[in-house]
Parts: sequence; C-alpha cells; structure tokens
Amino acid sequence: MSRARATLGTFVGLGSVLLLFLLLPILVILFGTTPGRMLETVLDAEVRRSFTVTFSSAALATLLGLLTGVPLAYLLARYAFRGKRLIEGLLGLPVIIPHTSAGVALLLTYGAQGPLGGPLARVGLFFTDRMAGIVLAMLFVGVPFLVTSAREAIALINPELEQAALVDGASRWQGIWRITLPLARRGIAAGALLMWARGISEFGAIVLLAYHPRTLATLIYERFQGFGLAQATPLAALLVLISLIVFVLLGTCLSSGD
Amino acid sequence: MRYRSLHWLLLLFLILSIGCRSSRDAAVPLSPTASEGSSPPAQTPTPQPTPRREPVPLRVFCAGSLMIPFAALEKGFEAANPDIDMQMEAHGSIQVIRHVTDIHEKIDVVASADHALLSMLMYHTNDPDTGQPYASWNIRFATNRLVLAYSEHSKGAGELSTENWAEIIARPGTRVGLPDPRFDACGYRELMILQLAEAFYGRKTLFEDVLMGRFTQPIRAVQEGENRIVIHVPEVLEPRSNSTIVLRGSSVQLIPLLQSGDVDYLFEYESVARQHGLQFVPLPDALNLGSPQYAADYQRVSVKLDFRRFASVEPLFQGEVIAYGLTIPSNAPHPAEAERFVAFLLGPEGKRIMAENYHPLLEPLRVDYHDRLPESLKALCVPE
Repeated sequence: MSRARATLGTFVGLGSVLLLFLLLPILVILFGTTPGRMLETVLDAEVRRSFTVTFSSAALATLLGLLTGVPLAYLLARYAFRGKRLIEGLLGLPVIIPHTSAGVALLLTYGAQGPLGGPLARVGLFFTDRMAGIVLAMLFVGVPFLVTSAREAIALINPELEQAALVDGASRWQGIWRITLPLARRGIAAGALLMWARGISEFGAIVLLAYHPRTLATLIYERFQGFGLAQATPLAALLVLISLIVFVLLGTCLSSGD
Repeated sequence: MRYRSLHWLLLLFLILSIGCRSSRDAAVPLSPTASEGSSPPAQTPTPQPTPRREPVPLRVFCAGSLMIPFAALEKGFEAANPDIDMQMEAHGSIQVIRHVTDIHEKIDVVASADHALLSMLMYHTNDPDTGQPYASWNIRFATNRLVLAYSEHSKGAGELSTENWAEIIARPGTRVGLPDPRFDACGYRELMILQLAEAFYGRKTLFEDVLMGRFTQPIRAVQEGENRIVIHVPEVLEPRSNSTIVLRGSSVQLIPLLQSGDVDYLFEYESVARQHGLQFVPLPDALNLGSPQYAADYQRVSVKLDFRRFASVEPLFQGEVIAYGLTIPSNAPHPAEAERFVAFLLGPEGKRIMAENYHPLLEPLRVDYHDRLPESLKALCVPE
C-alpha cells in the first residue's frame, strides 16, 4: 500500500513540476504588464488591425479546412484504397517540417513566379504580403490537425448507422450530413479548434510569405526586435489572455454538447 | 500523503537547482580575459578550476550586409584560433545595436553598416550594471555603395538602364522593396536616394510616385531651408493592402523575394548584390552614397524618425558617404577574444577574406577616439 502511495506521490510530483513549467511563463507574462498598459495596447489601432487580420485569417483558414478536410477525413475513415497510407503520411508532413521550411516552400509555390502563384498573379491574385498568403500559411500548417481529428471521430461512428439511413430511403449525402457528421461533430469541432489555434500562433511560415499585414505573432516579434520588451510584453500578454479565454470558452461549449 | 508529495517536489527542485548552478559555473570563461583581471579575488582558498578545452563563445553581431563576409571570417578566424567559438548573428544595423543597449545582451563585437549609429546610440547610453557608456570608440573599416538590384522577372527589366531606372520603378504596379528605415540603415539610405534622385533627374514627384499612398501613415519629405530636406518616418510604418512597397526588417530579407519574383526592384549594397550574384544597375555617384566627392550633396538629406525611438537620443540619420563601423562594447564578456577577432578582421587575412567577398576594407582604417582603443588595436588604425 505504501509503495503504491509512493508511486502515486512520484507521479504527482513529476506532474506538478511539468504543470509549473508550463504555467510559470504564462503567469510571468500575464503579471509582467499592468492593466493600464494592456488597455493602451487594446486601444492601439495597429494592434486592433493586427487582431482582425489574425483572427479572421485563422477563421477563414479553418473554414477552408472544414470544407476540404472533412470530406478527405471521411474518405480516409471509411474506405481502404491504394495510397491511403501515403496520403496519411503526407498529411503529417506540415506538422513535422520546420515552419520556416514550409514558408520557403509556400513562397516558391505561391510567389509571383511559382507554379501556382505565377498564373494567379497574372489575374491579379497575389499571396506575398497579402491576407490571402496568411490564410494559405495557416491552412498549410493547421489542416492536418483538423483532418486527423475528424478522421478519428468519423472512424468511431458505426458505418451501419449510415447504411440503415440508406435503407430507410435517405440519400448518401443525407446519410453523411444527418447521421455521421452530427455524431462526429465533437471530434471535428475539436480538430477545427486546434487548427484555428495553430493558425493564430503561426509565425515561421507566415513571416516568410506574408510579413504584411502583420499578424499578432509578427507584430510581437517586430515590437520585440524593434522597440524592446516593454512594447512587446503587453501585446504578448494580451494574446495569451485572449487565446486562453477563447480556448476555455470553446472547450466548455464542446463539452457541454456531451 | 500530501506531505510526501511535497517532499518529492522539493527534492526535484533541489536537484534541478543544483543542475542549473553547476551549468552556470561551467559557463565562466576560463581563458585569461580583461574582465577576469578586474574580478575580486576568491575569498576561500579553494583550488582554481583547471583550464578546460571548451572554446570561448565569442558573440559577434553584424549588419545583415556583412553576413556573408563575416561567415567567411568566422571560418578563417576559428581555424586560426581553435580556442574560440565565434557565434555570429546578423540583423538590421539599428537592431544590432539595440541588442546591446535595449535588450541588454552581452555581445563581444558589434559591426554596423553606419558608423554614426554606434556613436549616436552607444556613446551616450550607459550600461546600468557598470554606469559606463556601452561604447566609446568605433573604427570605420569599410564602405559600400548602393545599386538597384533586379531579376529577369522584374517589370520593365528589359529596358532598364542607369539613366531610366527612376522612371521604371515609379510605374504603377511595380513592386519595390524597402528595408524598414526604423530598423535598418539600408532603409533610410533608400529614402535618401529617392529624394536625391528627384533633384538629380529633375523628376519632382519621384519620391511621391514611389512611396505616397503606399502606407497607412505616410513617409513625408519636408523642405527645411533652401537646400535641406528632412524625411519623416512615422512610428507605425505599415503598408496598405495592395501596396506595391514590400517592407522587411532588413535589406537582406528582401533578396529571396527578389529572387522569387515577388519584388521587382531593390536598393541593395553593391557588395551584397555581388555576393548573391544579383543583376543590378549601378547608380550615379551623386546618388549611390559611396562617392566621397559628393559628400556635401549627400548631406542635403536626412531621415528623422517621428517618435522617441531611443531613450536619450534624437533619431536623426544624416546623409553621408557610407562608412561601416565596429566596436567592442564596454560590457563585452570576452574583450580579449574580441580584440583578437578585430585584429584578425583588420589584419592581412581579414583584408583578403573581405576583398574576396566584394567588400574590401578601407585604407587607412580610421578611429574616432584613438586614445580609447585597446592597446592591441592601436597600431592598426589612425586617428580621424
């Protein structure tokens, strides 16, 4: 019994150290500034523009991720086909490769002379230093989280439920839309939330493809580099605070659907 | 149960703190340095640690335009000095200095693309730890001149020449790179060139054509007196959406965008353009900021940051012939090794490496306060 307690105590100890390790920098940054400085930061027009760019780009990227990623997740969850493993491996690539490498790859592809960026530039659609570039970078680095989470959620739903709907006269689309997706919604929503959060925190890929308009991560970097800690800290704290609030709120919403 | 957990936690912290302590001890430089010479004597008669073979880390921060020659210098210097591990970092010139004065990093050698920045930002700012200015001398070791770099994808590249470049870069839809003048010397020099070019070519709206309407808050050129123009840079420098100005923290960050076709034209140092094999047109001597015979003309323009960029200094950058400067900060953690590096750079091997990288050293090497130079460097420089 006492040995079991000792083991438990060790686990508690180790877990506490990790929690402290994670929590301490968050607390330091939150208490490293004053409410007055935070308010000043909120009222800063450049910061507000940056907020709009960051959050709307992440939302747009997530929406694109949902539109394209969920169908792919469905295929991967429901069907066995040649090359499936390869696709699953490919989906992991953006998570594995350094994000600055992703930025270089995106610039080469969607830059004004890239295989896709070139033709699009000729019709006036640029990605470098445009919000479209930010959305693209967020989509690239974030969508694997969504697809993986959605695939696992869909795989847990018994396919017979969908087939039963087909027997009862529903179309294939209705079976997916009315049966499978609602049942898998929590997994899909969790994936979307992860992707959105990943987009907001992205820096490496964005800064190479679209430094402007500045996202919050870019603005924090620029203020740190150009103006010092005093300028960067309130903004960094604000981003931490908002991310925490949004994450907790959304997490609560998701679990309340249980 | 609760207390036992706490004991475990305390034990872990103890182990961690001992680990941290021992690693901090290991970071103390062991080769004899000037800073060690001034340290107080040990209070206990414990034996001195025996010298270890770990190389001394020498932090050298340089302007982005020095990145390639300094990387070559690093190799040569480390080969000749295996006891030193040179750790180089490159940023915009203002940023390089800010790492010392604002972020309080301990850096051994600072090399800036504008010598005036060293005196402006380091001579009158004191290190809070020592109460001494961050620097008190700088050696002008190299010059440069600006060129207009382009690629085969650049709009109008086929008809580009030394005579018509101003007309071509002002065409609507042409994307021009601008290193951020708040952070990089090349950025404020580009603004100076655009203003000088107005008078030189008689294109009275060149500055406006290239820059106006491109930012959420404008960069303004104001005539002050008969023959003096001050360019005002706002605190928030943010390109508008669909702007044709591509803004980055330093000039070298724009090179990949020129190569990818996302920037059409870029004012770049000639040394950098050659190091990267970029295509470029030279600018007339009256504009390139590298020709001493036009020094008086260059002085007609200056760039002012319209905000308190630095704690105690008015941020005004004066047009003049480009002169790179270097110094050893007063709080350099390894001043003896820093002197060895500077001597290497200014010596025959350093001269050869710099020349091979299209960035030859000045002859003679001038220093503003010769009497303040470390003894080992005095013979290499002459007073201004």
